[in-house]
Amino acid sequence: MQTATENRRWSKEYPELGTGPVPAESCISPEYFELERERVFRRTWLNVGRVDDVPNAGDFFVRELAVCKTSILVIRGKDGVIRGFHNVCSHRSNKLVWEERGTCRGALACHFHSWGYNAQGQLTGVPDEENFHDINKSELGLTPVTTDIWEGFIFVHLGSQPQETLTDYLGGVAEQMKGAAFHKRTHTHTYKVEENANWKVALDAQNEAYHLPFQHRYSFPGMFVLKDNRYLRLSGVKLYNHHAVWSTTYNSESTPTPTGALMNQLNTATTNSRLPMLGDFDFFVIFPNFVILQFRGIEDDYYMTYNFWPLAVDRCIWEIKFHFPPAETAGQRLSQEYLKHRICDVLQEDAVAHETLQTGLTSQAKTHLILQDDEIQIRHFHKVLEDYMGFFNGRGH
Amino acid sequence: MAEVPLPESFQSLEPFSAWALATERERRAKRLSSSMEDIQAFYDALFPQLEAVVAYLDQFPLDQLPAEAQPLYYLTLSLVEVTSAVELYHHPHIFEAIEPARFRRVE
Repeated sequence: MQTATENRRWSKEYPELGTGPVPAESCISPEYFELERERVFRRTWLNVGRVDDVPNAGDFFVRELAVCKTSILVIRGKDGVIRGFHNVCSHRSNKLVWEERGTCRGALACHFHSWGYNAQGQLTGVPDEENFHDINKSELGLTPVTTDIWEGFIFVHLGSQPQETLTDYLGGVAEQMKGAAFHKRTHTHTYKVEENANWKVALDAQNEAYHLPFQHRYSFPGMFVLKDNRYLRLSGVKLYNHHAVWSTTYNSESTPTPTGALMNQLNTATTNSRLPMLGDFDFFVIFPNFVILQFRGIEDDYYMTYNFWPLAVDRCIWEIKFHFPPAETAGQRLSQEYLKHRICDVLQEDAVAHETLQTGLTSQAKTHLILQDDEIQIRHFHKVLEDYMGFFNGRGH
Repeated sequence: MAEVPLPESFQSLEPFSAWALATERERRAKRLSSSMEDIQAFYDALFPQLEAVVAYLDQFPLDQLPAEAQPLYYLTLSLVEVTSAVELYHHPHIFEAIEPARFRRVE
């Protein structure tokens, strides 16, 4: 087992990140939040779903991107291509699709005057078309949003001209995860928590392992206290330009609960394709608001994703997804349900902390976050954020 | 669910048929609205048989469970729902956690 014994090792590896306290203003300032809309969320690639969410021609989902003040329609065309559009009718800008997900059979009709669009976003029907003045339907399709796919994850970019392709933007993360068989882990469970917390407060609170033995003492007693690594120091930290990953090992010696012991003996659903992992648990933060968590299992690996969706300076939605290999038997499903249940307990504890942290920050009793060496990934995240925001270091954009 | 009798070897679980619930939302609601005594009684009845129940269920592909196996399967999912309450918290709720209704399952 790889164990960190050297103190303050990551700051030696990444001296450019410094060691000082990090200003907390970005988590409570309404002005900062307004600037984030433009400088962060319209300048980055945003994960909005997976190709598995729209498996068949005509399948669609809608994403309310409050932070970008728009609603996005992602739909698979009859040609099999997945496209993103602003969910806005060309006639008088009414919101076109009101359902969260569904399948377009024929046409998507606007609720206002029934203008119709096909699954490729083309305008196909205008009631009483002859009474309009010189309209050309072929020029009045839905407004496209730059959309691309990486390893089955659908991303959109709301800037007028993305500076980087999705692959360039993901950089080393794309290389590290190349060939990961996410497409074989299609059994998904989704949870959403609307929180009274800035999106970064929620993300930062998840983005470290230091809290695990303490905050989760009830839900996972002993699990995170390793004999030769009692503070669960990280086994790896890698920075990839805008993104980062950190890893931990598991405590293989902790005594499982009676149900846990039984679950360990059940045969589990497998894909015959291990995920390319750095530790037993990998936490990838894909800037700005997307997280991929990979878990090493006994016979196979599974993964989760988080998306932190800002609503206001002090409100966000934490979206959580579990992605398991499809189970073939009840026993396989049961062991997945057990894992999910245990992790959901932890996440419900986490969600409380997001709000109590926000309350503390809002009081302005403290102006800075104090970060230890194993929280260097939070330091990195805030550095990337400042680089996008541009005004802390005066570089501008 | 109670209309379909359980397989003969698992008839002893019949008093707990109210726990045979098809969705996670229902199972969670059942845990949160049950007393610890009721949760413990359900756990004590099912847990010692869990291996045998899973062995029985695993004879069938998950998507082709026979009608009498279906409630049994839902009972095992409810066991997973209450396992932390019994083995860790000794209480139906998680401590220091967000209100359960706010942790919304998206079906």
